[in-house]
Amino acid sequence: MASHLVVLLIFSALVSGVFAMLLRDDTGSRLRFAAMAFGAFVLSAVVVGWIMHPFPS
Amino acid sequence: MATVVTETRRGAAIPACLFAWLLPGAGHLYLKRTVKGLVFLGAIGTLFALGVAMDARLQMSLGLDDILASLFSLAQMAIGAPYFAARAMGFEAGQVTSVTHEYGNTFTAVGGLLNILVILDAYDTAVGRKP
Repeated sequence: MASHLVVLLIFSALVSGVFAMLLRDDTGSRLRFAAMAFGAFVLSAVVVGWIMHPFPS
Repeated sequence: MATVVTETRRGAAIPACLFAWLLPGAGHLYLKRTVKGLVFLGAIGTLFALGVAMDARLQMSLGLDDILASLFSLAQMAIGAPYFAARAMGFEAGQVTSVTHEYGNTFTAVGGLLNILVILDAYDTAVGRKP
């Protein structure tokens, strides 16, 4: 579990799945919502990481 | 008739919330929402188990001297029995030098916070606000 990207993908998938089950009522819309939320999690983390890249740690 | 159904559902709300707190998804399983219950159990249980495996700190910190630590502990405790079981099995201290320590903290706290939403969903289901 040393890969930060794998941790991000696992976290995003699990949280997206829970939100989809909570916020949507039928299977099709749950799958769409989970896919959208997963994409948003991963994309936003990559974008924020890219923006933070020039700053020293 | 409608009153009887509503009262029956309200009677199920308290045990459903209690089960939902004790074990993620158990409230929905109690309410016969099997798929939802299994997804919650799998997803939140996996989040917490991975968090513990990534050396999360599970120490209980309640009080007003460190508000953030108290909120963090409350978030972790919201996952119910798995939190206390992991502490009892010796995973309390975590390992602060581990590269994944902060990820583990995040996984366990988010698991607990998601379980609060699941408890509220179980309540809404029990009283008939959700299918």
